[in-house]
Amino acid sequence: MNLAHLHLLLNHVPTVGFAVGLCLFLAGLLQKDEKIQRVSLGILFAVAVLCIPAYLTGVAASEILQDRPGISGELMEAHQDAALSAFALMELAGGLAWLALWQFRRYAAAARPLLIAIVLVSAGAFALMAQAANLGGGIRHPEIVSLDEAAATAPVINTAWLKTSTLRSFINDTSWVWPASEAIHFIGLGLAFGVVLLLNLRVLGMMKGVSFADLHRALPWGMIGFAINLVTGMLFFIGVPGQYTNNAPFQWKIVCLVLLGANLIYFTSLTDPWRVEAGADAPRSVKVMAASAIVLWLGVVYFGRMLPYLGGAY
Amino acid sequence: MMDLLLWLEESGLSTWLRESQSIMAFPFVLALHTLGLGLVVGCTVVVDVRLLGGASRIPLKPLEKYFSIMWLGFAVNAVSGVMLFAKEATTVSSSVLFWVKMALIALAMWVVTRIRAQVFDDPLIDTHPVPGRVRALALASILLWAAAITAGRLLAYIGPTQPEAAIIFGSQ
Repeated sequence: MNLAHLHLLLNHVPTVGFAVGLCLFLAGLLQKDEKIQRVSLGILFAVAVLCIPAYLTGVAASEILQDRPGISGELMEAHQDAALSAFALMELAGGLAWLALWQFRRYAAAARPLLIAIVLVSAGAFALMAQAANLGGGIRHPEIVSLDEAAATAPVINTAWLKTSTLRSFINDTSWVWPASEAIHFIGLGLAFGVVLLLNLRVLGMMKGVSFADLHRALPWGMIGFAINLVTGMLFFIGVPGQYTNNAPFQWKIVCLVLLGANLIYFTSLTDPWRVEAGADAPRSVKVMAASAIVLWLGVVYFGRMLPYLGGAY
Repeated sequence: MMDLLLWLEESGLSTWLRESQSIMAFPFVLALHTLGLGLVVGCTVVVDVRLLGGASRIPLKPLEKYFSIMWLGFAVNAVSGVMLFAKEATTVSSSVLFWVKMALIALAMWVVTRIRAQVFDDPLIDTHPVPGRVRALALASILLWAAAITAGRLLAYIGPTQPEAAIIFGSQ
């Protein structure tokens, strides 16, 4: 199995996942069923997390395919540009879904405007992703391309408002973008890592005077740090994708991040950690999750810093 | 002074860090330095955010234990930082940016000890609002750490030692 194969496995997740998540969410809103709303928000967040490797493996797949006969470079570029906008909107939708999950725990209800925003942004993300998927399907599936010769040989119309190549030249040709993004990426690391330590060290037994419910309020600060690093990290990837796609530490870093997504749902939404009162010892299962969060974050930091030394990136 | 720097740079440890191809040599020390950054900046910034009014239900008193993690991170970075300095002592010491970074860290650590003295030595901290001067210190701490990180990161791109700039701008 190579990364192109992995892309084939993952590339159905964003469209199918968002269709399921969004329909379920609408049903939950109409029926005023909070449980369904929370489950569907969890689905939207999880799909947004899986959309990260789906996008990254897509770029790897295009590198594998680009020199093969019968592959349209133009079509691949149009697919990649469409996927970039769709990816950006899907991450925003996932972030909003996470915020709503957090609010359900924190206030026992999520703000109405936030829920409406999730519907609108998710629907937009789905529409863009469906378009990207349609273009992507045409790359390797002659059976879905029109038999009408004029239509089949017509030039690919690239309608994406954000072109990957434009963004790439901005990143590489503007001297300050890379160093500035590096500095911001490390500041984001500090913020996210600080909140991760605060929550998980408490669960493991430090600072027992604080209840988990109180610490739960610090979670959005950690998410701000993560959001900063997702944006700056994607700038590095889009700038010079070739140095990451076949980079073993990079792949491990993404594996750690995806697993941390599941871990975050657990600490944001589930009842077990929420019940850890001030002065109380956390149950063993919660401690295992906390220890795994710290280990996975150490993995993210270690593999991230090793990109230049184990994987040849800068 | 130059003799001392030269001696440092030619010591066995520095030579090993420069020349060993092992992943446990220079890359590991660099990874430790990043991890230490996470511990120091992570712990202080979370306390700063709390002092500035974020997640204000978290009681302050128990957070004092967080400072021991911060000092652990500081120890890791002092040791790994000296090693990274020794590796190229003569070049790094001629970089203004490096001394700016050192000054920012010294200032930031001074602010951290002030915060600890003004907030955590007060047994009644959780019974009254955070005083204005403490909030000012917390804001100063966030800005100083952000500046220190920026200076440290820019060392890779600007000035006499620029290992990463050489790769980026040299290859294009």
